[in-house]
Amino acid sequence: MSDGIWLLLGLLLLAYLGSNLVGGRAIRGFGLPSGSEYLVLGFALGPHVLDVLGRSLAHTFEPVVLVGTGWLSLVVAVGYVRVADRWINPGRAAVGVLLGLLTCAAVTAAVYYLEPSFGGFQGFRRIAVALGMGACASATTRHSVRWVVERHGASGPLADFAADAARASSMVPPLALTLLFALAPGGALPTIPILGRIGITLGLGAGLGLIAALLLGRDFRRDESWGVLLGTGLLTVGAADRAGLSLLGAMFAMGLVLAASRHRLEIKAMLTPTEKPVLLPVTLLAGAYVNLKLPTVVLTLVGLAVLVKLAVRVILGMALGAGPARGTGADFGLSMLASGGFSIAAALAFSTRVPGVASDAVLLFAVVSTVLGEWLSPAALRRSLGRAGELHAVAPEDMGRPSDAPESLVSRESHG
Amino acid sequence: MSGHGSAQKGLATRAVQLLALATSFGVLFALTKLTPELESRLGTMTAIGFLVLAGTLLSELLEPLRLPHLSGYLLAGIIGGPYVLHLVDHATVKELSPVNTLALALIALAGGVELRVSTLRSVAKSLTYASLIQTFGVLISMASVFLLLARFIPFAKNLELRPLLGVALLWGALSVTRSPSACMGILSQTRAKGPLATFSLGFIMLSDMVVVVVLATAIMFARPLITAGAAISIDDFNVLGREILGSISMGTTLGLLLAIYLRLVGSQLVLVLLALGFGVTAALKYVQVDPLLTFMTAGFVVQNLSNQGEKLLQAVEQMGSVVFVLFFATAGAELDVPLLKQAWAIALLLCFLRSFFTLIFSRFSSRIAGDPPVVRKWGWSGLVSQAGLALGLGIVVEGAFPGIGTPFRSLVIAAVAINEMIGPVLFKLALDRTRESSSAEPVARPSLPPPEPAH
Repeated sequence: MSDGIWLLLGLLLLAYLGSNLVGGRAIRGFGLPSGSEYLVLGFALGPHVLDVLGRSLAHTFEPVVLVGTGWLSLVVAVGYVRVADRWINPGRAAVGVLLGLLTCAAVTAAVYYLEPSFGGFQGFRRIAVALGMGACASATTRHSVRWVVERHGASGPLADFAADAARASSMVPPLALTLLFALAPGGALPTIPILGRIGITLGLGAGLGLIAALLLGRDFRRDESWGVLLGTGLLTVGAADRAGLSLLGAMFAMGLVLAASRHRLEIKAMLTPTEKPVLLPVTLLAGAYVNLKLPTVVLTLVGLAVLVKLAVRVILGMALGAGPARGTGADFGLSMLASGGFSIAAALAFSTRVPGVASDAVLLFAVVSTVLGEWLSPAALRRSLGRAGELHAVAPEDMGRPSDAPESLVSRESHG
Repeated sequence: MSGHGSAQKGLATRAVQLLALATSFGVLFALTKLTPELESRLGTMTAIGFLVLAGTLLSELLEPLRLPHLSGYLLAGIIGGPYVLHLVDHATVKELSPVNTLALALIALAGGVELRVSTLRSVAKSLTYASLIQTFGVLISMASVFLLLARFIPFAKNLELRPLLGVALLWGALSVTRSPSACMGILSQTRAKGPLATFSLGFIMLSDMVVVVVLATAIMFARPLITAGAAISIDDFNVLGREILGSISMGTTLGLLLAIYLRLVGSQLVLVLLALGFGVTAALKYVQVDPLLTFMTAGFVVQNLSNQGEKLLQAVEQMGSVVFVLFFATAGAELDVPLLKQAWAIALLLCFLRSFFTLIFSRFSSRIAGDPPVVRKWGWSGLVSQAGLALGLGIVVEGAFPGIGTPFRSLVIAAVAINEMIGPVLFKLALDRTRESSSAEPVARPSLPPPEPAH
């Protein structure tokens, strides 16, 4: 049997584990919220350590990984505007988007100005690496917030704020990548201006999303709904990639349109259970793609970018101390440092347009940020919530409740 | 495969479907015009998306004509494929072949699950007569027809009698192949229940095994006729025996393991089926046993030695709703339209005569077996379809007889293309006429439950 089949079986096994994590037997808070353990596992299996998952073998699955990143974007967007029985709070969402944008801008600017000294990237690559790292720095993973909130039974204004802000910040990476891909020279639409390319990216996703929503809203049979969702999803991903546009942006737009349709809860209930089964193999392969054999200056640039992200988050967290995060000091900023699968997905999507050392640097930044966030963020959020008096004892039976089982999405979803 | 549809769909629904279909074709068409030279690494994924969406929509749009969904899937593949609009190119079609592996595993599993011992026992006499009479009757008749029409077949007209006899024998053997996938597809769509559905399923699943033996025998006898100096060798039978026995024993083991899993765990069946379809198929090929027969046996064991058959069937159908669309749409894209254009007349005549003899021998065997009138009248209708099995055997013949192999295979492809398009239509027509499909007509079932009231 070929190595490809063994790898496929391994990935299916991971997807199986992922499915069980959203199943009825999963314990709330089981596993790390960022999925860092799978990144590390992928890295260990990859060419740098055990070489079980060689570079060429891992790259055989590149199309699947890219589709996986698009699919994650769709899942995130479908759950974006509504938290089960309530709309996402617009004020908190605006703050979340602002936090993401400011982090993105700060990291982009810092990397852009540091690059001549450290990275040696020129021309478009200079902008691309800066914006790519900015995109990966901008989102706070909602899983981290949910993990802490559910594990410690937190409830209250700060917990809600953290949940909504984290969810809202996930809009920034697709938007940043949409801009980045539109800025990229060449591609299939060289004569169309940048704004036009952005419009086409979002229009493609929104248009096919509308088609899917219309079809699903009609009396299509349930078993054909998957055909419609998969068909439109893959068509969107493929069309965006072929036209040199951001597949993450197009899929996010598609997800937002589906999220605005009247069947949003049911679509969300269909899609959400697919997140973990897709996320774990993608994360594992991302771990295997990590390239540490980069020039020292590039490694230094990555390290500096991580420090800038850390600093920006701490400053923004302290600024929020005057508002919703009163009395939490630097901790709330650190708690919003957490990144996860979606940031990794952004880094992987980046590589479709800007391959080579640039994409290696961006992926490394995303991975290091994710691991660092895993160390600092959950504990910081727990401290913040404790100071805000929002931590409560959790009954053992509630610890066993599935955190994002489909039925809980249709009925009620507390956080995340 | 989707369930049988509600016939009364409004104009607005059809308009939306048409719009969606036009959009999917339009998006891909615009891209191929805009970026003809760009190689996308996601070309295969795009093709999957397009074929699934276009196949699903086209099958819905053809529903008012009472055509089977299969025809819609095939048509989507033909139109979008490399010979018509070229939205999906040859290389991409080739890259989609793993889907066939998965689909065939699912089809075989589902076929095995549908075979209940009690049902088989009730139609055992009928199946025995039909298998014997259909196999030998159609084989001899079609071999004779081939001999008679040889002067109109370009690659056969200059053959001497001896090799011509060999080629005719091979054609006769290929004519007894049926299409389990088409049969399962139609039965799954119509959810038909009744004597015709039971007979067709049982016969086709059984014929799957019979055909392998028949073709091995035909090759054994044809070899000395076609290849000068070759002698009859029973080595092929040694291999065949090992393959059949190995498949049955592997299938039994797999079936028992599946039954245990279904009983003790019973979740994540989609992932389990994916692992079976890709991983276990690769392992089975590695140890040189027939995956189709193995999975069929596994399904049969789950159904008859445990009470988990329904659960397995439900999982296969759920997954099949996407995989089967892709499988048949890919088959449509693979259809060699230029070749069909060249050989359509002789291929059509051969197909017509094959259907005619199938009908005659079906009536004959049904009369002897004392089948119910429904089977006596329509029993032949499910036996017309041909698909992957015939094409696969065409490749075997091509490999075994390099001299005539390639033109022979081309004729097989042309004939299979015709049977692939006509067969499902005939079978669905028969199930509709006999009201076996209508007995299980589901209530219109929306894709999604109605929206909850606004909060």
